Amino acid sequence: MKFLVNPSKFNEIADYIFKPVLVLSILFFALGLLFSFYLSPDDYQQGSTVRIMYVHVPSAWLALLTYAIMTFYSIAALAFRMPFGFIFNTAVAPIGAIFTLICIISGSLWGKPMWGTWWVWDARLTSVAILFIIYLIIIFINLSFENRVVREKVVAIFVIVGSVNLPIIKFSVDWWNTLHQPATISKLAKPSIDPSMMTPLIIMTFAFMMIGVAIAILRIKTEIISRKSNLS
Amino acid sequence: MLIVKDLSIERLDKKIFENISLSLAPGNITILKGKNGSGKTTLLKAILNLIEPSFGSIYWKGKLLKKNLYDFYNNVTYISDTTSSLKKLTLADNINIWKKFFISNINDTQIEIALKTLKLDNYLDKKVGTLSFGETKKLEFLRLIIENKNVWVLDEPLSNLDDDSIELMKQTFEDHCEKQGSIIFSSHQNPGIYVTEEMQL
Amino acid sequence: MKFLKKIIFFYYREYKLNMSGVQDILTNIVFFFLSVFIFIFSIGPDKETISTVGVAIVWTLLLLSSTLSLRKFYQDDFENGNLLIIHLNGFSFGFITILKTFSHFLFVQVPFLLSIPIACILLNIPNDKLLYLFTSFGIGSLTLSCLGSISSSMNLMNQRNFLLGSVIVMIFSVPIIIFSVGIINMAQNFNSLINILFGILLIVFAINPWASGLCLKLSIENN
Repeated sequence: MKFLVNPSKFNEIADYIFKPVLVLSILFFALGLLFSFYLSPDDYQQGSTVRIMYVHVPSAWLALLTYAIMTFYSIAALAFRMPFGFIFNTAVAPIGAIFTLICIISGSLWGKPMWGTWWVWDARLTSVAILFIIYLIIIFINLSFENRVVREKVVAIFVIVGSVNLPIIKFSVDWWNTLHQPATISKLAKPSIDPSMMTPLIIMTFAFMMIGVAIAILRIKTEIISRKSNLS
Repeated sequence: MLIVKDLSIERLDKKIFENISLSLAPGNITILKGKNGSGKTTLLKAILNLIEPSFGSIYWKGKLLKKNLYDFYNNVTYISDTTSSLKKLTLADNINIWKKFFISNINDTQIEIALKTLKLDNYLDKKVGTLSFGETKKLEFLRLIIENKNVWVLDEPLSNLDDDSIELMKQTFEDHCEKQGSIIFSSHQNPGIYVTEEMQL
Repeated sequence: MKFLKKIIFFYYREYKLNMSGVQDILTNIVFFFLSVFIFIFSIGPDKETISTVGVAIVWTLLLLSSTLSLRKFYQDDFENGNLLIIHLNGFSFGFITILKTFSHFLFVQVPFLLSIPIACILLNIPNDKLLYLFTSFGIGSLTLSCLGSISSSMNLMNQRNFLLGSVIVMIFSVPIIIFSVGIINMAQNFNSLINILFGILLIVFAINPWASGLCLKLSIENN
């Protein structure tokens, strides 16, 4: 697992796995879209709009997952002087921002027919919007500091301080009575979702994950090269 | 007693300097010479434990500097290339703040003498922001005298000074040496000050 | 004993500095009142509407006006090298941030605390809500000071985009606003909400020396 902390090892492994990951993501996307459009049933309440879920939920999961991994890497980078953590933060923040944006847009498209409004100010929506702004600020910090050493550490500190938002997002639906429905899938309890809807959801999650990993590999490799040539 | 052993510093994977060794005994004056960007300020900051060295170590009174940091800080005055006096306050206020904040054991007559020799005694009621750059630079030396510490770490103390003040600095340095103090300072010009050790970077 | 003296004279220094720039503090307060006026002009002079949104206006503007003085937090002392001198005088960076946070609280936030009653009269906020407003701002403003410390220390080396500091303060102050305004509007929940607010203060207060201290060290190291 050394390639997860060592830039040169990462470069070696990345060359091997980039193409398979890309192919896998295309396959999963094809399969997932097929399932979610044709092979899954309509919801008895929501009708066809329930299919937005197959984009909305995976992107939300991945937005949170990306931030969680960034927090983990930031702590590791500051505590164990691991430069790969800084590289990871710089490279991956825009990907997380895009996932959050997809989640927000698809969510409001879903909300219009279901709740009758594009946007409500409930806890889950607000905290996800804050997550999006936090991602944006990380990108802005990356753009506006001249000195690389200062910039990457400031980003890491900001990521750690901003990670208080994660549990708020996760538990907002349990802590406050909100319009947004609580989580239907969890490891501990039996999921309250039908298996016929579960399958496309899982496939789409893998598809999103694979495309995220592929883009992350490209961006991390770019970042490593630009650091080597002292461009940034 | 400050000892620097085989110090190397890298920034952004670029070596700034390598294997610097020097020692600063009581009564010693060390000058750091070198061109712009040769790492003089970096070395001084490393001595003050503000920059983490890549290799090598620094000792103060026989112990590692990091283990003995606040004892070292109690014995050191640092003058950077910026002027630390508060621009919005008058000169008298500045002196007052320094005297109190550094818990100085210098009495008022000594400060008055120092003010006279630095030719600043007419400006006591003026705001520091209205003084010329050379005069604020001289004010930094007043801080040296008020702090009254053993080790002086000075970054380019002689730039922007007129000949009279440089002469005065020479005198101050020699006095400090006689009191078993030690000085390390950087300069890109040849100051003509008596030094015990010269270090080319 | 010597350390205590140093702390006292640190505040003496801060006092002198802030008194020499007392017009800055007054400008902050004038900004606050002017924004209150502008809000009233844009909403219209209807008493009912103003008193329902009044508390929210006061809190928002307090937040905005306290971010105006962020630049003063560390930037001046950093640029003229005083931060370094204070550190060499025996204060660790983490401790400097605690001292500075309280100094910001005393010299920037407390004047706002005094101007709240006047704003309440202008905005028709009933007297019984004044107590809640005071308690929530008393806790909230110290939290805001801590957040200001974190964001302005992050921004020391940022020459291009100083507004980023205000943005960072505002993003983290969202929960404070939510719970503070909640206190005033739902007075029956007073105790539980004050506990949450106090908890947030403790978390931020604990993070502050670590985060800002690290940023100060970083900036001085790389300056």
